[in-house]
This record gives sequence, C-alpha cells and structure tokens, in this order.
Amino acid sequence: MIVVLQFLGVAFALAMVYFAMLNYRRGELNGVEIFFWFLIWAAAIVVIVFPDLLRTFSRTFLFARLFDLIVIGALLFVVVLASRAYIATKRMEKKLEKYVRSEALKDVKIKSK
Amino acid sequence: MDIFIVIPTFNEERHIKNVLKDVVKRKLPIIVVNDGSTDATAEILSPFTIHHSPFTILTHRVNLGKGAAMKTGAEAAFAFGADGVIFMDSDGQHKVSDLPKFVEALKKYDVVLGSRTLSHGVPLVRFLGNKFASMLIASLFGIYVSDLVCGYRAITKDAYEKVAWESSGYAVETEMVIKTAKYGLKYCEVPVETVYLDNVKGVTILDAFNILLDVFRWRLTK
Repeated sequence: MIVVLQFLGVAFALAMVYFAMLNYRRGELNGVEIFFWFLIWAAAIVVIVFPDLLRTFSRTFLFARLFDLIVIGALLFVVVLASRAYIATKRMEKKLEKYVRSEALKDVKIKSK
Repeated sequence: MDIFIVIPTFNEERHIKNVLKDVVKRKLPIIVVNDGSTDATAEILSPFTIHHSPFTILTHRVNLGKGAAMKTGAEAAFAFGADGVIFMDSDGQHKVSDLPKFVEALKKYDVVLGSRTLSHGVPLVRFLGNKFASMLIASLFGIYVSDLVCGYRAITKDAYEKVAWESSGYAVETEMVIKTAKYGLKYCEVPVETVYLDNVKGVTILDAFNILLDVFRWRLTK
C-alpha cells in the first residue's frame, strides 16, 4: 500500500516538474524560478522515496508522527505560496487600474489644460 | 458652485438611454464612465455627445469596477473645474427629480448621501442587510448612515481630495462613509426614491461578504 502511495507521489512530483518545464519554455518562469521549482520537487521525491530521512527532524520538533511533520510543512509551504500569489495579484490589479484609468483620463487632461 | 453629474456604467444597454434622457434635461454637465461595457452601451452613449453639451464619455478599456469608474469620473470633473460631483447609478433606479436636493445640500455639506427607505421600493432582504451594515459601521467607526450602499451621493472637491477611495468595486460607498468619519467631514443624508428594474445586478451576497472583509481590514489598518 505504502509503495503504491509512494509511486503516486513520485508520479505527481514528476508531472509537476514537467508543468514547471512547460512554464519555463513559455517564458512564464525565469531560470532562477525553474531552478527552485526543480529543487522543491526533487526534495519532495527524495522525501517520498526515503521518508525515514525526516524522522530525525520529526523527533527534534517533537512531532508524534512523521506524517504530522510532512502535513504541517506542506501547509506552511502552501500558505507562503498563497500569500505571495495574493500580493502579486493585488499588485497587478493596481497596475492595471492605474493604466486603464490613465488611458481614460488622457483626453481630459489635454482638454482641461 | 459648478456641479457635475458622474454616472458610472457597465453593460446597461437596457436602461442607460432613458436615464440619460432624463438627466440631460437638468442642464448640468455630465460625465459618463463606460466601465468596459461589452454590450451596446458605448453605441447608445455616442449620440449624446453630439446633441447635448457639456457631455463627456470616458472609457475604461476593461471593466475595473464601480469604485474605479466613480474615481475616473470624479477626477475628470474636477479637472474640468467642478466644485462638486453628484454620482448616480446608470440602471435607472435613481430619480432625476431628487437631483435638486443634492445640489442644495452640497452648498452646506462636504458629503451628501442618498438614503432609500423601505417605502421607496427597497426589497426587504436588502433593507435588513443594509441596516445590519449601518449598525456595524456605527459600532466600528462611530458614524451612522441609514443607507450605507446607496449610489446616489455627492461630494465636494475638497472632500474628495481627502476621501479619495482605494476601492475599485462595490466597497466604494462604504469606504466613502468610513473616510467621511475619519476626516470629520460635514455630511447629511437626503431621502431618495428608488426603482428596482433589474434584480440580478447590483451588490450580491458575495459582494457583501467581500465588503465585510474590507470593513474589518479598514478597522485594523486605518
């Protein structure tokens, strides 16, 4: 059962590497970003294949089970990503609003001079 | 006092013509902000610039939201030399016959807020939601406005420079009220009649929820 789950986990990580590569080819990720995504998914594959590597950490941080450490770590990672995505979206919204409004007001500024 | 009427509009091909036909009779300068409409609104607006003056159309190439459209309209009006602006919705729910109340009130107050009553055609659910919002704002910001989200309102140039909202969507009315309290501006409410012609447009439950989140954010950050 665990081997099946590990297989699914590795397949998922490899699929995500493939999607990251696609985004890189389309120019949506730069060299540094693709490097970090490779690093993250490579680390995920290592943890999936050799989960015992994390056991020392789980003991250090007083987690009862290794699984708890992985879940909390993943949750923190998702929260960081979500907050970054939120800030980036807000920034884009502001830029878009500023541009669209300045385009609409372009003629007004000329007329009112 | 030079007063401009600002009408933000988005996909209002069904109502905008009738609204403008009534408004132009008042002989006040009008600015319509077409907020990225994808229907025939732009085509309906065009003839008004030829037959009525001063009539200005400003166009947002993409839909930004009511707050952003109001801001664009207000900034244009003040660039043209307005001392105050009156905002009206473009869906025909506001009556032009109420305009003189705003014009008069603007001479004495910085901000004039339209207030609908239940007898003036507001659906009961909206009325109760609005009352709850009014009480929430009163408890959090110390300002009670009986109709928090009525789009029929007016503001002077000096007040606008202080209030200048950041909301691009439907939270604009609430933010305006909160900033009115924050800067100690003189405000009043005037009763207005309302006709609901379209049930699916306007503030939805989701919008209300987002406004609620904004309200708590403003309480924490301002």
